[in-house]
Amino acid sequence: MKKFIPKEAQPAPVETTGIIGWTRENLFSSIPNSIATILILGFLASFLPGVINWIIIDANWSGSTQADCTNDDGACWVFVSAWMQQFIYGSYTDSEIWRINLGLILLGAVIAAPYFLPKHLRNKLGVPMFLLYPFFCAALLDGRLFGLEFVSTDLWGGFSLNIFLAAASIIIAFPLSFLWALGRRSEMPFIRSVCVLLIEFFRGVPVLALFFMGSVMLPLFFPEGTNIDKLLRVWIVLILFMSGYMAEVFRGGFQAIPQGQYEAADSLGLSYWQKTLLIIFPQVIKVSMPNILATFIMLFKNTTFLLIIGIFEILSTTQTALANSSWLGGHAPEGYLFVALVFWVCCFGMSMISANIERKLDTSHRN
Amino acid sequence: MSAEHATAKSASFFNNPRNRALIYQALLLFGLGFFFYSIVSNALANMEARGIKSGFGFLFTASGFDILMSLVPYDATSTYGRTFLVGLLNTILVSIIGIILATLLGFVMGVAYFSNNWLVKRLSVVYVEIFRNIPLLLQVFFWYFAVLAALPSARESMAIGEVIFLNVRGLFLPDLIGESGSSIVYASIGVAVVAIYMMRRWAKKRQDDTGEQFPILWVGLGIFFGLPLLTALVTGLPFYWEFPELKGFNFRGGITVIPELMALTIALAVYTGAFIAEAVRAGVQSVPHGQTEAARSLGLKESRIMSLIIVPQAMRVIVPLLNSEYQSLVKNSTLATAIGYPDLFTVFVGTSLNQTGQAIEIVFMTMAVYFAINMTISFGMNRFNSAVALVERK
Repeated sequence: MKKFIPKEAQPAPVETTGIIGWTRENLFSSIPNSIATILILGFLASFLPGVINWIIIDANWSGSTQADCTNDDGACWVFVSAWMQQFIYGSYTDSEIWRINLGLILLGAVIAAPYFLPKHLRNKLGVPMFLLYPFFCAALLDGRLFGLEFVSTDLWGGFSLNIFLAAASIIIAFPLSFLWALGRRSEMPFIRSVCVLLIEFFRGVPVLALFFMGSVMLPLFFPEGTNIDKLLRVWIVLILFMSGYMAEVFRGGFQAIPQGQYEAADSLGLSYWQKTLLIIFPQVIKVSMPNILATFIMLFKNTTFLLIIGIFEILSTTQTALANSSWLGGHAPEGYLFVALVFWVCCFGMSMISANIERKLDTSHRN
Repeated sequence: MSAEHATAKSASFFNNPRNRALIYQALLLFGLGFFFYSIVSNALANMEARGIKSGFGFLFTASGFDILMSLVPYDATSTYGRTFLVGLLNTILVSIIGIILATLLGFVMGVAYFSNNWLVKRLSVVYVEIFRNIPLLLQVFFWYFAVLAALPSARESMAIGEVIFLNVRGLFLPDLIGESGSSIVYASIGVAVVAIYMMRRWAKKRQDDTGEQFPILWVGLGIFFGLPLLTALVTGLPFYWEFPELKGFNFRGGITVIPELMALTIALAVYTGAFIAEAVRAGVQSVPHGQTEAARSLGLKESRIMSLIIVPQAMRVIVPLLNSEYQSLVKNSTLATAIGYPDLFTVFVGTSLNQTGQAIEIVFMTMAVYFAINMTISFGMNRFNSAVALVERK
């Protein structure tokens, strides 16, 4: 009787495994796909080497004046390094720059505090620290309150100002927008309509119009002779603008909370504020976190709009540097690339964090 | 009844929710009233001190400045009302072009994410992540000061077939100008639109009745282009082309797209396109995979699965997101003022306000306009949304 001898298993055909298989499957699986691949590769090949040459290989890296940029075919990064202090700190007094650094470190500390504080102190210490930070930081940068040298807000600027303004605005907007969102859900008709009007107004109007309102209309609304600092007015506008958007984010969060949570809190006999702050708020924050971060990214990018009303944030500083008589000669691409990179790193980082939170919160089973 | 009565009596006045609500609202009303009273009285006093006349009379006085680009005739003797109109039209122009380009770019890039070509997919991801995370104003500056400012001068402009020219002064396109009799052709376009609408209704009814499909897209395109073309041929082509020509240092004739408009629309389209691509991606991902599998098991082709099964369901997620993206595009078009494109914000809140000093009227008029534009978009998109929304079983 013949015995059945199975043949050795054949290895997979060479064209379906390894690099060749991957290429066939992902780049050349059909005729349109192959055309697209060749077009993109051709575009990259014609475009990338020149860009890389300009940015890295032929670029001028060292020196301190425009004369050091000898190679005209490459980027002049000397321009960026020479203006670096201005880009980051604006015209802030040289000897006092430690105050800006301290402010930035404190900002990091305030954000990181909940992770390090012991549990029983987290709310009691963390929340007041968070809410007081903007005022403390403003006083620190201004200096008078702490007996330090006075630095006028005209000198504040650079990327640190973008960070401070965005952070200080969202921190104050947090409680304010939560109140607006509560008001929008309120059963009292007058309070509800006032909140709806506020939210829709600040969301529906271009932020630039709000800035103009802050700079040309607001002074008309105060008694003659009152002089409110320009930066303070900008801060107020940013807070209100941000509150409009965040209130809508919170509204979405409120809608995600099951009705049973309210009923359970009521049946335990909790008061309105106990119910709102102890039961509802923590759940709302949790579901709204990705959207809050997205809104913050928008606010952060929008701080560049302040250029138009003459605040020396980083883009405005770049424009000034580009117009400087000892740096004429078209450094616009270098300057813009630097600012773009700074913003991109910050915003992309935050959107990664946001996506991470979303993934952690997402318990649904999807394929 | 009696129990309710009893609680109302036993609770103290302040613990009655109804009384409390009244008190809170009265307090808010009082606070707001005081706030508005004080700002209005201050504003009136301040304006009197500065010698600003309030009211809208300024709209009928001559503005005395010229505008770089206007869709309606305008010169320095025109009134501020006219200035407002010019700015409004320019804003609408940039918004419409921006919305069309952003939608095209966004949908192409959003769908590209689902390509089975690795490079195409990466291209979509890189595009979205780069342009979404860089401030719009920076992108506007980049296109205006770094890209368009680096274009060649008028004498060395880039040309496509000697009819389209691109140089540092802008983009120059040939213009189609109608002679007498052209109005019949324009009317035929209107007739074509009505005919397409009727055909769609008829085709839908036929499909509902018999299940047979009608090639709406191709026949529609045929009517849209065929009918005006036929009319034009019959009336003896009452059109001629006006080509841009180099005269002196600049081009004359044809349509001129100024670089400010180009930079702004490119930046708005690229920036908003990245967000729309995200929305499209989210929409397609929201359709459960089972839908694709069911469609495959019915034997539908891959291309039909996308257009008949996935996209209609994805639209439910995409349309509300598109609504807010379009609105933010319109609001962001105010950045025109940073590069000097004469939109409503630049000519009205910028120049007119500087000249007249009537801050309150001008800022409120401008805000009202943006509000109205956004309401219109919102209304249109909500109509569209109810057309694509899930229709539950009746």
